[in-house]
Amino acid sequence: MVQSAAELFAERSYDGISIDDLVTHLGLHRNSLYKTFGSKRGLYLAALRWSLDQGVTPLADRIAHAPDAVEGLRIALAAPVGGAGLELLLLASVERAPVDTEVAEIVDRAFAALDSATAAAMGTDGPAPPPGAAVALTALLLGLRLRTRSGDPAAADAVNDACPRWPSVLPSAARQP
Amino acid sequence: MARVSIEADQLIVEIEGLGKLWALKSRLVIPLAHVRGATADPGIVKEPKGLRSPGTHFPGVITSGTYRTKEGQVFWDVRDAAKVIVIELTDERYTRLVLQVADPRTTVALVEAAIPTR
Repeated sequence: MVQSAAELFAERSYDGISIDDLVTHLGLHRNSLYKTFGSKRGLYLAALRWSLDQGVTPLADRIAHAPDAVEGLRIALAAPVGGAGLELLLLASVERAPVDTEVAEIVDRAFAALDSATAAAMGTDGPAPPPGAAVALTALLLGLRLRTRSGDPAAADAVNDACPRWPSVLPSAARQP
Repeated sequence: MARVSIEADQLIVEIEGLGKLWALKSRLVIPLAHVRGATADPGIVKEPKGLRSPGTHFPGVITSGTYRTKEGQVFWDVRDAAKVIVIELTDERYTRLVLQVADPRTTVALVEAAIPTR
C-alpha cells in the first residue's frame, strides 16, 4: 500500500493527489488512512522513506558496483521509469523539500547515497577525480534521468557518445574503448 | 468557521461566529504531542459521519458538533466543504477534528510544521 502510494505520488506529485484520489486508488478507507498515517503528509513521508529504502538505495548499490562511471550512468538511466525510485526523489526535491524540512532530510540522504555510489563507480585505480566530481556526476545522472522521463532520447545518446570522452570528470571513462 | 493557531506546545482551535452556537463549543486546547497531522480534505463531507451527539446537522448546510463513530468521537464544524481540514488526534476526547478554516493550505502547513517529527 505504501508502495502504491509512492507510485501515485511519483506520477502525480504531492499537491496533485487528493485524499479522495488516495482512497480510490489505494483501496484504503479514509478512516484507516488517518488512523495509520495521521495525515496525507504522514503517508507521503512513509512513501518517500519506502522509496529511498526500496528504490534509491538498491540502485545506488548497483551504481557503486559498476565497472566505471559511464556504466554507472547507464545503469541509472536503465532503471525502470515510474515506480518509486528516482522519480519520486526528483519530484520531492523540487516540490516538497523547499517547504518541508523532513522531506529535505530524506532527499539529502538519497543524494548522499547517490554521491557515495558515483564516487565508488569512478574507482580508485585511475587518476584521482577532482573535488566534487561525485556530486557533479550525481547531478549529471539526475539531469539525464529527468530528460529521459520526458521522453528525450538525447539523454541516452549523451551517455553513449559524449560521456566516455570526458576523462577529466569521469576518470575511469578513459578505460572505455 | 474555526481559527487554528499554535501557542507554545499547544494547538488552539477557536470556533467563531454562529458555528460556536451550533457546535456548543467555542475553544479546544490540545497538546501538540497529541496531534498526529492535518490534511485538507473536502471529500470527507461525503463520508458517513456517525451518530450525532449534541450539536447541529442540517444536511448539506451545516455539520457542527460531536459525532460518535467506531473510531471514537469526531468534532465537526463545517458549512463550506471546500475549506475543510482534518486534524487527527491521539489520546484526546476527540479522535479527529473536521473544521472549516479560512485558508486550508496555510492552516495545514502551520499544524504540520508544529507537530513533532514523525
